[in-house]
Amino acid sequence: MEKSLLKKEALQKLIDGVREKGGRFVAPSILARQVVYREVDCADQMVHDYIVPRNSIKEFLFPQTEPILRFRLMREGVEVEDVRVEPERTVFFGVRPCDAASCGAVRKVFTWDYIDQFYTRREDSSVMMTIACTSSDDECFCTTVGVSPEGKEGADLLLKETVDGDYLVEAVTDRGRAFVEEFKDVFTEPDGAELKAVATPEPIEGVNIDNIIGFLKDRSHYNSEIWAELARKCVGCGACTFTCPTCRCFDMVDEGTYIEGERRKNWDSCQFDSFTLHASGHNPRDTQFKRWRNRFMCKFNFYPVKFSARGCVGCGRCIRVCPVRLDITEVMIEVSEAARDV
Amino acid sequence: MEKELRERARELLESGEVGVVIGYGWNRRKRRTTPVFIRKPEEAERLVFNPLCVNNLSVYLTRKYPDIQKLGRAAIVAKGCDIKNIVVLMAEGQLKRDDVYIIGVRCNGVVYRQELWQGELRPEIMPVKCHNCDVREPHVADTVVGEPVLFTPPEEPVGMVFDKIREIDAMSPEERWQFWMDHFSRCIKCYACRQVCSLCYCERCITEKNMPQWIETSAHPRGNLAWNLIRAMHLAGRCTFCGECERACPVNIPLNIINQKLVLVVKDAFEHRSGYDPDTHPPLIVYDTEDKEDFIK
Repeated sequence: MEKSLLKKEALQKLIDGVREKGGRFVAPSILARQVVYREVDCADQMVHDYIVPRNSIKEFLFPQTEPILRFRLMREGVEVEDVRVEPERTVFFGVRPCDAASCGAVRKVFTWDYIDQFYTRREDSSVMMTIACTSSDDECFCTTVGVSPEGKEGADLLLKETVDGDYLVEAVTDRGRAFVEEFKDVFTEPDGAELKAVATPEPIEGVNIDNIIGFLKDRSHYNSEIWAELARKCVGCGACTFTCPTCRCFDMVDEGTYIEGERRKNWDSCQFDSFTLHASGHNPRDTQFKRWRNRFMCKFNFYPVKFSARGCVGCGRCIRVCPVRLDITEVMIEVSEAARDV
Repeated sequence: MEKELRERARELLESGEVGVVIGYGWNRRKRRTTPVFIRKPEEAERLVFNPLCVNNLSVYLTRKYPDIQKLGRAAIVAKGCDIKNIVVLMAEGQLKRDDVYIIGVRCNGVVYRQELWQGELRPEIMPVKCHNCDVREPHVADTVVGEPVLFTPPEEPVGMVFDKIREIDAMSPEERWQFWMDHFSRCIKCYACRQVCSLCYCERCITEKNMPQWIETSAHPRGNLAWNLIRAMHLAGRCTFCGECERACPVNIPLNIINQKLVLVVKDAFEHRSGYDPDTHPPLIVYDTEDKEDFIK
């Protein structure tokens, strides 16, 4: 059965089924007046009318803070205890296609020269139930960066809302097929259900991704005056990077007493002035526009070129949360134009 | 008002009196405003002022922005509430009065957050500071633009923040602890609250000092509590309740409750109101033999 139907009345049964087997069920829900992905135990906690949740799903696969080892000073020396991640199965319901597409991008860096099991074990034990978008806002720009609002990238199951509020389910991966098989009493036969229209944001006029990449690759543009002009207003907070589904930089800190403590892996942001601060006091990115340039370079040059992976999925979170409204799509237009003028 | 504003900005740039005018402009779709840095007289046309102009631009006057200082003497478009922060910067020796040309704008209030705007400024979408505003006529400025505003703030401050403060004051210590721990648990340590604050101008924030580590930087409950408490303490007697930190917070932590509580405590203890007089130092950085000692019981 490649396609099946998930009735909205059956959602509670699915949640119960997942939880009874020791898993967690993550879905869009309201927290502090915002729609967020979070663990739910009841279908009533879920919301179905949302565009893009405030957080991305990365915090469930790559937590904002997690211990990676524990240490204790003993008479004989330092005792180090390894931390092993044994994640429960996580079912992500209602993931937007942009967020699902980000997983493949994040995975690249965590499986590059070293397999980071803190990430891979969590992702490997997850089931991604993507729901195609039926609404979008001014900030959505997935189509501009080649992501589709009904895309299957990163999805195990692709769901499409029916006009009755049920979901037509298409299995994309073997994991998705196995999941439907495992909970076959929850899924039913599709009965020619009528689907809601998919909301496809118009690609942003004036943006040419190839031109942007070309411009960024040309090192003579690294010190171009446009960077200061475009990013002068950046205040250097980490809101864009922390809500971004593909930003994955982290920092290691030791916390505890002098006798015992933990080494923790914490999210870090290239927008912070201490991000590349050297022990000598020198900082190669000594002003804010250079830090913002780095973020843009990372999204459209460094990361896609080095890892053949997406740097940006067009979810628009960085635009929505920016306190000074530094809009990455406006910079994309400006850089596309600058590239044309070269 | 915009005509007047642009005119004044153009004159300032043409005469060379300033090198940059820091103000508000439209974003590309003209649905949101965003800070702009006008350096050429002909670009003064980009300046706008409307209820979407929520940012407190005084942050760009601080030493955190050496690149902006290099553009020359600055003129700044400032609402009365923004001017309060400039006044504190002057009181704390961060700015001299002549360092900045203040274009005060008469303001009828702004929206709490830009995304609430639907074409009309209604009381429900205005922040508490606007409902109690006593500086709609800019109080410190080199020039003032806009039509005079007829507004008298209520004698007793009104708004959700004040209701919430009364509610929290009535809680038991355990309930209060839980209230704040619930909110702080969402903190993602993005430091947007600090970065948008023009009074958070330390070159090195205490959270970045790690020898010794005063504040755990991890976003776990202890680290989040430590961060939010220490920031509150560092702003006591200085915060003007401009609300930028709460507006910038991506996870909706009600920082305005903390800020206003600090304002009330400081007013009660020292009879000090921050942001009105550049010659009065914030009470927590001065020693005064007349200070009350009624907290010693």
